[in-house]
Amino acid sequence: MAAAAGMSALCRRLMGSLRLSGARPSLMAAGIPGLTPNLFLKSQAKVELLHQLKFLHTTLSRKGLEEFFDDPVNWGEKSVKSGDAWNIKQLRAKSSEDLHKLWYVLLKEKNMLLTLELESKRQLKPMPSPERLEKVEESMKNIDLVVREREIALRLLQTGHEKPVPGEWRHDFLGRTYWYSYKEWPIPWYLNKKYKKRKFYYLPHVERFIRLRLEQSLRTRARRQSLEKTKQKLLERKFPHLAIKSQSQ
Amino acid sequence: MQGEVWEAQQEERLQRGPLGDREQPHSESLRLSAHPEADLLRGGRAGAGAMRLSAVLAAARLPPGYRHGTWPPDTAAARRRNPPGQRRRRVLVEPIDSEEWKVFQGDTVQVLSGKDAGKQAMVTQVVRARNWVVVEGLNTHYRYIGGTYIASEAPLLLSQITLVDPEDRKPTEVQWRYTEEGERVRVSLRSGRIIPVPLQPRRDGIVPEQWIDGPKDTSVEDAMQKTYVPSLKTFEEEIMDAMDIVETRRAKKSYWY
Repeated sequence: MAAAAGMSALCRRLMGSLRLSGARPSLMAAGIPGLTPNLFLKSQAKVELLHQLKFLHTTLSRKGLEEFFDDPVNWGEKSVKSGDAWNIKQLRAKSSEDLHKLWYVLLKEKNMLLTLELESKRQLKPMPSPERLEKVEESMKNIDLVVREREIALRLLQTGHEKPVPGEWRHDFLGRTYWYSYKEWPIPWYLNKKYKKRKFYYLPHVERFIRLRLEQSLRTRARRQSLEKTKQKLLERKFPHLAIKSQSQ
Repeated sequence: MQGEVWEAQQEERLQRGPLGDREQPHSESLRLSAHPEADLLRGGRAGAGAMRLSAVLAAARLPPGYRHGTWPPDTAAARRRNPPGQRRRRVLVEPIDSEEWKVFQGDTVQVLSGKDAGKQAMVTQVVRARNWVVVEGLNTHYRYIGGTYIASEAPLLLSQITLVDPEDRKPTEVQWRYTEEGERVRVSLRSGRIIPVPLQPRRDGIVPEQWIDGPKDTSVEDAMQKTYVPSLKTFEEEIMDAMDIVETRRAKKSYWY
């Protein structure tokens, strides 16, 4: 009896975890925001539990986990051939739906390759064809770029602004000027204690240090320019035709 | 006395606000488009995440006085010759614009000076960092490897090389010029003939003519197919329409500053 009770508790926990893993993909596909609450009710668990006891097995459900690994044909190969990464020109011709689908296909491929990379490190073996990862990353970067391009174009048309977040040039308490981009807050600035503590101005005694900083930057620029001049002189000494070319220019 | 004055000034500044003399700019909740729900779904599409270690290393800069050899910098031979922290005397290399570069792998060139002066052969390797060209079978020295002597080619400088006219098979000066179609080609100054740039092998070793698509590769027709229809909807809105997602939540008023 005790053994049966213990077994039933184990079954309940296992079935709970299996149902969770099984249910999530279907929810994602339906695209319903928020979870249906029925899954976690105990009454439903009991009904399914009695039904499932006949087919009890304690191995992990492999539903979907095989996608973390390559095609079994390629297991143990030294190299796997792969085509080129997706070009930006090719991606610009694709609709948003296609790009969305392609992103997730690439993401799953990237997960598979990362698993492979980690496993080869663990086994101290070279990863077969690591350029696949670079191609996948490049394709994903290109998709992001294309979507961002379209977003910027639309924003320029509708608002005339290029950046998604507005900002302005501000000083910090050390007198430095930097681009401050606005952040989203739930309360106005005059009620925001954290924001009011920040100082976007500098006191008069800082002006001396601003001048010193300016002198420092001018000094480094002058040093860099003189270094370039000495390098150019060295080159002209070794290659006299460069001196003639620069003189004619 | 002075302390009090300073404290009074501080009080005044605190009352004025974080921007001091300037007025605090305020903006209402930002909206990209008429569809208010789209904003809630933004922000999930960050970049591709952290780069892989090898990609980071590939992007890492070589040390300033790096002396290039005939091997790529990430090979074992290069790492043996240029261990990190090694500082050798700098070699002065004539600066040549990457657009002005005329010699490519696969070109036929004639050697002008050196041991094999006057002979023509194909270029097997180009090292732009040192203006080097390795020509097949010419300018060789012999190394003792594995019990026998093997001929290994020494690199030649660009100044010891000229390109060869394909029909004449005589050395010529070459210039980059534009054709009527707008294509940039190398033109031999003596005869006016175009010297075509030989097909460069790809870095991943793929030969496009012999390529057969694998199971995960998209076919050429599918990749070239145009499915984009320009519209005034954002990416997020189009996806919501495609997946029948209806956002009934309304964003609360937020402040941007």
